[in-house]
Amino acid sequence: MTPVHFSFSSAFILGLMGLAFHRTHLLSALLCLEGMMLSLFIALSLWSLQLEATGYSAAPMLLLAFSACEASAGLALLVATARTHGTDRLQNLNLLQC
Amino acid sequence: MTYLVSLFLFGLVVGLVAVASNPAPYFAALGLVVAAGVGCGVLIGHGGLFLSLVLFLIYLGGMLVVFAYSAALAAEPFPESWVDRSVIWYVLVYLIGVVAVAGLFWGGWYESSWVVVDGLKGFFVLRGDVSGVALMYSFGGGMLVVCAWVLLLTLFVVLELTRGLSRGALRAV
Repeated sequence: MTPVHFSFSSAFILGLMGLAFHRTHLLSALLCLEGMMLSLFIALSLWSLQLEATGYSAAPMLLLAFSACEASAGLALLVATARTHGTDRLQNLNLLQC
Repeated sequence: MTYLVSLFLFGLVVGLVAVASNPAPYFAALGLVVAAGVGCGVLIGHGGLFLSLVLFLIYLGGMLVVFAYSAALAAEPFPESWVDRSVIWYVLVYLIGVVAVAGLFWGGWYESSWVVVDGLKGFFVLRGDVSGVALMYSFGGGMLVVCAWVLLLTLFVVLELTRGLSRGALRAV
């Protein structure tokens, strides 16, 4: 495992750990998801660049389009949460009725 | 170039630590901007000029503006930065963990493993990824149509989620 591979792998694992362990805000979880998608984009790009497989350069672009879908759906959920509960703290979502 | 790419890789890990250590969303968005900019540097170092351009313009220009808006929506009077007591421990734990795992691989990293793999180094009008992305319009046309359809579908999902009247997915407002 070269340092480049170690870097984006550890970036992905860090984003995953941040998503799994820290859930104060909904926006923090969305940002951790974005960090994971960023490391996946870099990983796919480096795969096609290091192996000189230029035909696969379209794969990171498609991944970026799908990550845009994920981000927009998450932000819509954030806006809906802020409108129903008044805040985006995830502890408020455990309350039964407020 | 090798030193520069090494610095960018270090910055990528530090940026993700800054996102993952659960500060206030202002600072987490800042860490994500740093990580995306540094990732552009990594891709430039490996010769992917079009992919890094797309990452810089589309990712930073499109997505992070929306995140700044949403961070303003979830505003707090006293946001926690990285030096707060509840955050600094996570930063330290993540950094120590990354360094410990890097220490496991440290024996296998010779000087040649730090050298950037870029076989097409030199001055070219057309780099590999430019023509590779252009293949999306010929052989990858099916996936392009699927992507456009998914984006259109996401638009309607977002509109239904944020409608908020008695109709739609969210009827509580």
